Amino acid sequence: MTDGRHISQEDLALYAMQALSPGESAPIRVHLAECALCRAELAEFTGDLALVAMSVEQQPVPEGARQRFLDRIAADAASTQPAPKSVISIDSPRPTRRVAVWIPWAAVAALLLVSVALQWRVISLNKVLQLQSTQIAEQTAANARAREVLDVLTAKSAQHVLLTSAKTPPSPTARAVYLPSRGALILQASNLNPIPIGKVYELWVIPSSGAPIPAGLFTPDASGSASVVLPELPKGVPAKAFGVTIENAGGSATPTAPIILSGAAPAAGE
Amino acid sequence: MADLFDRYSGMAYSVAMRVVNDSAQAEDVMQDVFFQVWQNPKAFVSDRGSLGAWLAVVVRNRAIDAVRRRKPSDPVEDVVLPAATNVAAEVEHRTMIEQVRKVMKDLPPEQRESVEMAFFEGLTHAEIAEKKGEPLGTVKTRIRAALITVRKAFQT
Repeated sequence: MTDGRHISQEDLALYAMQALSPGESAPIRVHLAECALCRAELAEFTGDLALVAMSVEQQPVPEGARQRFLDRIAADAASTQPAPKSVISIDSPRPTRRVAVWIPWAAVAALLLVSVALQWRVISLNKVLQLQSTQIAEQTAANARAREVLDVLTAKSAQHVLLTSAKTPPSPTARAVYLPSRGALILQASNLNPIPIGKVYELWVIPSSGAPIPAGLFTPDASGSASVVLPELPKGVPAKAFGVTIENAGGSATPTAPIILSGAAPAAGE
Repeated sequence: MADLFDRYSGMAYSVAMRVVNDSAQAEDVMQDVFFQVWQNPKAFVSDRGSLGAWLAVVVRNRAIDAVRRRKPSDPVEDVVLPAATNVAAEVEHRTMIEQVRKVMKDLPPEQRESVEMAFFEGLTHAEIAEKKGEPLGTVKTRIRAALITVRKAFQT
């Protein structure tokens, strides 16, 4: 169940989807009350489950469901108002002046309280909705910006121009942008020499320790340009350098000399 | 509140339908969850995950409760999502939902089946193991692996 100190991921996943028996859930619930780390991991699994839930095929909401819901909350709002204590018959003795004065004021006070409570609910819900709307707008803008950057970097029709000293003949170059924490890498290469049939260029991440990690295969276009965008890489591996080799089609698990291009990575920026 | 209902009722109803497979019961579940939000808006902690994602999990849990004909298992306040980075608003975007569907579709069949049996049919891991004739540990590992795969697909 636990590794001695924390709940295993397997059990947290099952707990998140309520797939454990009550007897198995109880000690986990106790541990979660005290362990922020496990609560955070549980939240991650709940987030995964939200994705799974939201992947279901969309169904049309039954006709009238919206009105039924609005009627229900209207009835709930009405039920919070105080009901009259009793019905006064026209044959009943006239209420005394004292009662006649207090009843309207009490009713007004009760209605004011109900009104304040309802207003508070409306404000709370509006705040939630506004925050969500802001988040969606920000995310949409960020996605659009990221898409634009990717489109420019990877468009076949994009012009790739390397600016160098006027007397320097163009030579193969590449620029790598690497975010170790996310395992995200983008490489833009230019002026690459044509590659023989059956061969490919292969990009390598050379970590501070350990063997070079293959980071994608590429072949240049007619102008010698190529790019590698977000290859599969492990996260959290700081790079000491990057290199490009020529390998047989399909790539290699280890780099084959000579190294065509290489560059040392500066100190991590994050 | 009507805006909230307009925005999320389709998703909430679809999740409930996937679990209970009965239109009237699915609407009951959806209505109850929205009503709870109306009664207690603070149950949703707005700085932790998106409201849509939170509703999806709460509706699923309530739908499973309905299928099992039991009292609500946990208060809705117990459903906590990670901070709004991965699951947040982006997943409400149609393209992201399509991406989740693809990730689910591409899972190894035995992993997908185990997750669906636990999440949408409400079976315990012991029930799944018995139904599939497989060890408990195997079922646990498959479910964890499937969820991690879904998570990684959105950690770019």
